[in-house]
Amino acid sequence: MIGFDFFVDRFGIFLTLLFGFIGLMSFIYALVTIKEKGHRLEYYLMLLLLVGSGIGIALTYNLLLMFIFWEISTFAIWRAVAYYRGDQELAAGNLTFILNFAAATIMLLGILMVYLDNGTFNIFEIRAINDTAAIFILIGVLTKSVTMPLHIWLAPAYRAVPAAIGGCLAGIGENLGVIVFMRLFVTGTFFSPPFFNTVAWIAVASSIVAGGVALRSDNLRNLLAFSTISQLGFILLAFAVGGTFGIVGGMLYILAHALAKSGLFYGVGVVEDSTGSDNLKNLSCLLRVSPALAVAMAFLAGSIVGFFPMIGFFSKLSVIVGAVQQSTASGVGAIIAAVFTLLYNTRFYHELFFGDECRSAKIKFKRPSYTGVTVVFILALISLLCGIFFYKPMSYLLAGGV
Amino acid sequence: MNEIYYLILLPIAGGLLGLLINRLRSEFNFLGFFLTLFFSVRFFIASQTKILSFNLISFAGINFRFYVDNLTGLIILFNGIFAFLIWLYSLKAVSKNPRERFYYVYIALTLAGANGVVLSGNLIFLLIFWNFLVFSLYGLLLVGKKDSTFAARKALTIIGVSDFVMLLGIVMLFVRLGNVDFPLQHRLIFTQGWYVVSYILIAVGALAKLGTMPLHTWIPESARVVPASTLAFIPGSLDKLLGFYLLFRISYSIFDISKFGGLQVLLMIIGAVTIVFMSVMALLQKEAQRLLAFSTVSQAGYMVLGLGTGMPIAIAGALFHMLNNTIYKSVLFLGAGAVEYRTKTSELDNLGGLGVKMPLTFFSFLIAGLAISGVPPLNGFYSKWMIYQGIIGLADRFPLWFVFLICAMFGSILTLAYNLKLVHSIFLGRRPDNLDKVREARFEMVTPSFILALACIVFGIFAQAVPLKYLVAPVIRFDVSKLGFWVPGLATILIIVGVLIGLLVYLFGTAWRPRRSRVFIGGEILETDEASITGPNFYSSLHNLDLLEKTYQFGEGGAFDFYNYLIGIAGGLAIVFKDVINRILTTIYEGIGRMVRVLGTFISLLHTGELYNYVGWIFLGGIIILLILVF
Repeated sequence: MIGFDFFVDRFGIFLTLLFGFIGLMSFIYALVTIKEKGHRLEYYLMLLLLVGSGIGIALTYNLLLMFIFWEISTFAIWRAVAYYRGDQELAAGNLTFILNFAAATIMLLGILMVYLDNGTFNIFEIRAINDTAAIFILIGVLTKSVTMPLHIWLAPAYRAVPAAIGGCLAGIGENLGVIVFMRLFVTGTFFSPPFFNTVAWIAVASSIVAGGVALRSDNLRNLLAFSTISQLGFILLAFAVGGTFGIVGGMLYILAHALAKSGLFYGVGVVEDSTGSDNLKNLSCLLRVSPALAVAMAFLAGSIVGFFPMIGFFSKLSVIVGAVQQSTASGVGAIIAAVFTLLYNTRFYHELFFGDECRSAKIKFKRPSYTGVTVVFILALISLLCGIFFYKPMSYLLAGGV
Repeated sequence: MNEIYYLILLPIAGGLLGLLINRLRSEFNFLGFFLTLFFSVRFFIASQTKILSFNLISFAGINFRFYVDNLTGLIILFNGIFAFLIWLYSLKAVSKNPRERFYYVYIALTLAGANGVVLSGNLIFLLIFWNFLVFSLYGLLLVGKKDSTFAARKALTIIGVSDFVMLLGIVMLFVRLGNVDFPLQHRLIFTQGWYVVSYILIAVGALAKLGTMPLHTWIPESARVVPASTLAFIPGSLDKLLGFYLLFRISYSIFDISKFGGLQVLLMIIGAVTIVFMSVMALLQKEAQRLLAFSTVSQAGYMVLGLGTGMPIAIAGALFHMLNNTIYKSVLFLGAGAVEYRTKTSELDNLGGLGVKMPLTFFSFLIAGLAISGVPPLNGFYSKWMIYQGIIGLADRFPLWFVFLICAMFGSILTLAYNLKLVHSIFLGRRPDNLDKVREARFEMVTPSFILALACIVFGIFAQAVPLKYLVAPVIRFDVSKLGFWVPGLATILIIVGVLIGLLVYLFGTAWRPRRSRVFIGGEILETDEASITGPNFYSSLHNLDLLEKTYQFGEGGAFDFYNYLIGIAGGLAIVFKDVINRILTTIYEGIGRMVRVLGTFISLLHTGELYNYVGWIFLGGIIILLILVF
């Protein structure tokens, strides 16, 4: 039933490298920002649990083992969100845990139904998944990969979590759902066009609505949360439409989004550390505080929007090709979501770094930590390099035998 | 074919090395731009004799391939020339800008991206470079002489959105055709609705680059806040080259628009509307660069109009007009920049009488101003004339062809009017006292505009011998014998009509509403302010004309502004999403949470801790189980 059930394919290696790298960056960033000694050990434990469970999910073929890693990651996210033991943090942590755990329980029910139908947990041997089981599993997936009706825990969690592990949450934690979706439904043998169509439309709707909410958010953490929801909609859309472009585009999108969003999270963390505020209404003209941060965050936001020298362009292009191959309407929806992405990114970037009048003269700010800015810069640079040499990851994934 | 790589990589290398090693910046930049120009010329000559295409890499069904023909060579040549001249001009003009270092990098990156766009032979490959240009445009606009962040944001939004639209069009074509290499052996005729849709979507990208209405608004927005050289480089020359290039490619190399009247009319309407409205807007401006920005938008209308006719002579005319426009519009922008460099102002009210002080600038500015207005021996006249002939040639297909002709000619008259105003208010008239010490601009700034002004004359006088023969004719085959065929009657009548309209404007505007002024009593010495008539007052009577004034007010109020509509719609949707949908979802979750809490409170109330209660519950439960078992 359960054993050392791991396998290695190109997607697995790809995700392992990515998660390891994101975890490393989080570790470096934490060295200077997580200051409480003793308490700090908890952070490292949760970081390693998160990275480990992410890699585990990426590499296992046993559905039950996958579920165990899934629960480990839920636990890690719970403790990470409640890292600072304030009332709000605890409440956010509890909300995160309760929702994720409830969804995971429903998912376990689905997994057991699959087991009863097939007599095996091996995803390569599963031949039939009935629709009820698929929907039960989907609920777990949508909750972990925050998609619109089940997204409610993300904004409080982002507001509570320390920036150091928030980057990991955005880069690893939220991708787990779509990875399970991809492994189980897309590259597996599940065939049910209405199911995939529904998921595609949920993804598009979630992406557009979350983009709109992000456009109206003044709190930077909130904005990042809804941006994440919006971007995960793209990834889910990619996997739901399937096809070569869909799957490769989804994997590329995981890469682009993980790099860019964790970078933006660290960037916001640096801004908070240096100004003590994370509200756009109080912040402006940060270009003067740290030009390097401004440049790096321009690259990262550009990657999220999908401008060329960054990897985000190719991932968005592939996803849209995949979507249009399936139905033009979902492609149009994806374009609308992309327009929202462009709008909220330009808005937040301009209000943060330029602003109408330079009010930051009133804000007291410390000099941002070099380590933090360096980490953001490295992530931006990797996004840039992946974009310029886009054919490397792309042909690597294409050779993965989709 | 190494030249292709050189054309893309040399400017990047020159720009980045200049950024990294600031001490040798000019040397590196010079090498980058000069070598690119050198290879552009060689490339142009080579492209005249052979057509070349080769694959760089291909995977997932996309061929990343280069394709080179006459048109490519031509655009590459102009890219190289303009980048070099702008670099030369900027040496002194931008030298006081604190972000000068980045300015050159962005100029270099823009050149590389533009060359890439033109060299690519596949729409998706083209899209990559096209997208790269957004990035460099944004950076270039951020290097402003004042706070240019809003203009940069606006440009990024407009161009970014149009790029997404274009991406969708290309993807639709790719999915349906399985490959988007061009040119196609058999051009696509609009047999299916999808072709029309994807043509329009791609054309949105091209028109945004070309800067026609309603996607033009970032150009006047940035006119006041960025250096003149930026304006001359991006909206003035490179954007026109690229936008025209893409529109030409999709209209005549991929699709065949001349077989589908609807789209032709659509393009021609866009062109005609742009010409008229933007000329009116330009006429009433009070600042030199903003006036020129509107002017450059209105000139783009001629290109779209000419392309839309589908007549070979008008397409050739549009191409020729595009080349001419890049030349004289650059001269005008650079001239205005030179004046601003010396006088520190570009408000027309504060300028005047600089012709004596800056003779070379005046000369080139005047030539370019006459050329853009279409005064006969100069190049602007020829290209416009070719476009007019194309429109007249449409007579047997479109009964309403004369509307477009009238719009084009009316626009031409307005062009002459605002250029006279511009030339008068900068170089003629009375010179304000504080400008007495103004000198001719620097050598580096005068040379580019002088060279380009000479090009205006050469292109005009020897139009058939030089530019049409070597530049335009190899790209578009058209009947040369039709050229020079002058229709004196019609043209004269139309010009007279134009003059009459002008007179009518004057009569309606002024004669019926007399201007009030103080009574002049002989012998008084007039205040200098009253005695001088500045350029902006030329057409102040137009403000009295209701229709024009309304148009102007609408335009200044942002009614033609796509950006405002986009932000408004997106903002409205965002309010709905955030304050309705998201709040409803949150409320549902909160409701569930509250229900659980109420249930918990209720159950805890049942647990009173008294034995009798528990015994009662046990009995109740037993009865229920019994009932279930019985039934």
